[in-house]
Amino acid sequence: MVGTPVLFVAIPLLAAFLIPLLGMIWKELVRIVPGLVLTYLLILSVNLLNHVLVHGPIVEVIAGWVPPIGINLVFSAFSGFLVVLMEFLGLLVWAYSYRFKRNVDYEPALKYFLMLMMLITGSVGIVLTGDIFNMFVFIEITSISAYGLTAFYKGRNSAEASFKYVMMGSIASTFLLLAIMIIYSQLGTLNMADIANRIHTMKPAYKIISYIFFVTALGIEAEIFPLNGWAPDAYAEAPGPVGAAFAGIVVKAAVYAIIRYTYTIFDLSGTLNFLIIIGMITLIIAETAAIRQEKLKRMLAYSSIGQMGLVLVAFGFGTKEGVFAALFLMLNHAIIKSLLFFSGSYLVYNSTEKKIEEVNGMSKYLPITSLLFALGAFAIVGLPPFAGFWSKLSVMTAAADSNMILIMALVLIVSVVELVYYLRVVNRIYFFKKEASIKPHRPTINAMVVMLVLGAIILVIGFYPDAVTGILHKASASLMDKGQYIHHVLSLKQ
Amino acid sequence: MDNTLFGYLDYAVYGTAVLVMLIGLYGAMVKKSLLKIVIGLSVIDSGLNLLIVAIGYYKGGTAPIFSQGFLDNFKSVSKMVDPVPQALVLTAIVIGFGVTAVALALVIRLYRHHGTLNIDEIKNLKW
Repeated sequence: MVGTPVLFVAIPLLAAFLIPLLGMIWKELVRIVPGLVLTYLLILSVNLLNHVLVHGPIVEVIAGWVPPIGINLVFSAFSGFLVVLMEFLGLLVWAYSYRFKRNVDYEPALKYFLMLMMLITGSVGIVLTGDIFNMFVFIEITSISAYGLTAFYKGRNSAEASFKYVMMGSIASTFLLLAIMIIYSQLGTLNMADIANRIHTMKPAYKIISYIFFVTALGIEAEIFPLNGWAPDAYAEAPGPVGAAFAGIVVKAAVYAIIRYTYTIFDLSGTLNFLIIIGMITLIIAETAAIRQEKLKRMLAYSSIGQMGLVLVAFGFGTKEGVFAALFLMLNHAIIKSLLFFSGSYLVYNSTEKKIEEVNGMSKYLPITSLLFALGAFAIVGLPPFAGFWSKLSVMTAAADSNMILIMALVLIVSVVELVYYLRVVNRIYFFKKEASIKPHRPTINAMVVMLVLGAIILVIGFYPDAVTGILHKASASLMDKGQYIHHVLSLKQ
Repeated sequence: MDNTLFGYLDYAVYGTAVLVMLIGLYGAMVKKSLLKIVIGLSVIDSGLNLLIVAIGYYKGGTAPIFSQGFLDNFKSVSKMVDPVPQALVLTAIVIGFGVTAVALALVIRLYRHHGTLNIDEIKNLKW
C-alpha cells in the first residue's frame, strides 16, 4: 500500500496551519510549501486510483471505530477520479498563482495560499467522506475559505460579492444541517452506507423533505438555478485563478454530493426526472444570461453555471452512458473552464471594468494567450477536434439511448448560443483594433506553462479520447453499483 | 398534576426552536441593516442548535456520562440522552461562530467602502 486516503485531509490541513510558522523562517516557503504538498497529494491520488481500479475501493476507518459507528473515508473509482482531478487542478492553480502579481507582499500571499489549501482540503474531503455530518463540516471548510478568497481584493467590490455569498451559504448550511438531523432522528445513523441500507424503512414524507433540503443546500454551491445568485459576482470579483478553482474544484465537489445523495443514499422515485428538470432550467437561464453579459468573467461564470446544468441533465438520465457523459463533461469543464479563466484574466488584466470590449485586438500583443483562449472557447462549445466535442457527443448519444429527443435538441440549441457568445469574444480578440488606453500585461512564465499544459491536455483528449474513457467507464460503473458501495463499507470487521 | 399539559410541553421545545429559526429568517430576509442581517443568520443557527439538542433528548434521561451515579441507578433510570446530537451541536456552534465572524468582518469592510450599513444603498453589483 502506498498511502491511505486520510492523508488527503490530514496533510493539507497540517500544511495550511504550518504555513504561517514556516513563513517566519523564510518568506518564500509560504509560496513553495503548498506546491510541494499538492504535488505529493497528486502523486498519491494517482497511485491510489491505480490501486483502486485493480483491487476495488479502499475504505479507510478512522481511529478503529468500524462503520456505522465510526467515521470512514471511501476511495472508490468514482471518488478517486474526482480526487485526482481536484488535486491536479489545485496544483495548476497554485502554479499559476505563484507570484500571480509581481511584488506580492508576504501577508496577502500567506492568506491566499492558506485559504487555497483549505479550499482544496474541504473539497477533497466532501468527495472522500462516507459520513453525512463530516460532509457538512467539509462543506463549511470549503465555504468559509471560498468567502475569504472572494473577498481577497480590497479595492474592488469583492466584499459585497462575498457578503452575498455568506448570506446564501449560511442559510444553505442551515438547510443541510436540518436535512442531516431529519435523517438522524429517523434512522439514528450518520453513515452514508448505513443510511442507504436502511432508508427504505423511513417514511416517504421525511425522505422527500430531507432530500429537498439537501438539494437546496448543495444547489447553492453547485450553482443550480435559482440558487446561483452568488456565483457571477464571486467569479467576477475574486482573483482570476480563484475563478478556476471555484469552477473546477468547489462546484465539482457540490455536484458530487448531490449525485451521491441521489444515486447512493435516497431511493426516491422521480429524483432523476427532478435532476433533468432543474438541470434544463439552469442550462437555459444561464446561457441566455451569458449572452447578455458585458463583463468577461461574468460571462464565463454564467457559461459555467450552464455547463453544471448540463452535467445534472446527463446524470438525470440514470443510465450508464448518462453517468459516463456527465463525468466526461465534468472533466472537460474543469480543464477547459480553468484555461478560459487563466487566459481570460490576462486578457483583461490591466482594465478596470473587465469588460468584453477591452479584449479588442489583444492577439497582436498577447499572441499565445489569445490563441489559448480561442482554443478553450472552441473546446467548450464542442467543436471537433477538441476535448469538449467528445463530452457533448457522449451526452447526445446518452440522450438518444434514453429516447430524450427534446434534450438532444436543447443541447444543440445551447451549443449554438454558446458559439455565438464565445465567438463574439474571439472575434474581438483577433479582428478589432486595440484601444490605446489599455496596456496588455504579459503572463508570467509559470502561468504560461500552466496554460500550455491545459491546452495540450485539451488537444490530447480531443485527438485521443481513449486516454481517459477507460477510467471514466470504471468510475461510472462504481457510482452505479450501490450494493457494492454498501457492502464495502459495512462488511468491515475490526 | 395534569399529565396532558406536560405532554404538550414536551413538544413545546420543537415549536420554540422552529419559532426561533423563523424569527432569524425574518431578520435575515426583511431587515435592511447589514448588522441585523448577520444577527438574523446567527439566530437561525441558534434555533437549529436548539432543535438538534431536542431531537436527542429523552424524557428523564441523564447526562451522557458514565458516572457511578448512573451505574447505580442503571436499572431504575436506565436512560441517557443521546450524546451524538450534542456533539454535533458543538461542531455546528463553532462553525456558526466562524461564519458570523467572517460576515462581521465583511460588514466592517463594506462600511468602510460605502459609509453605510443600509443594504439598499450598497448595490454596485446589483443586489
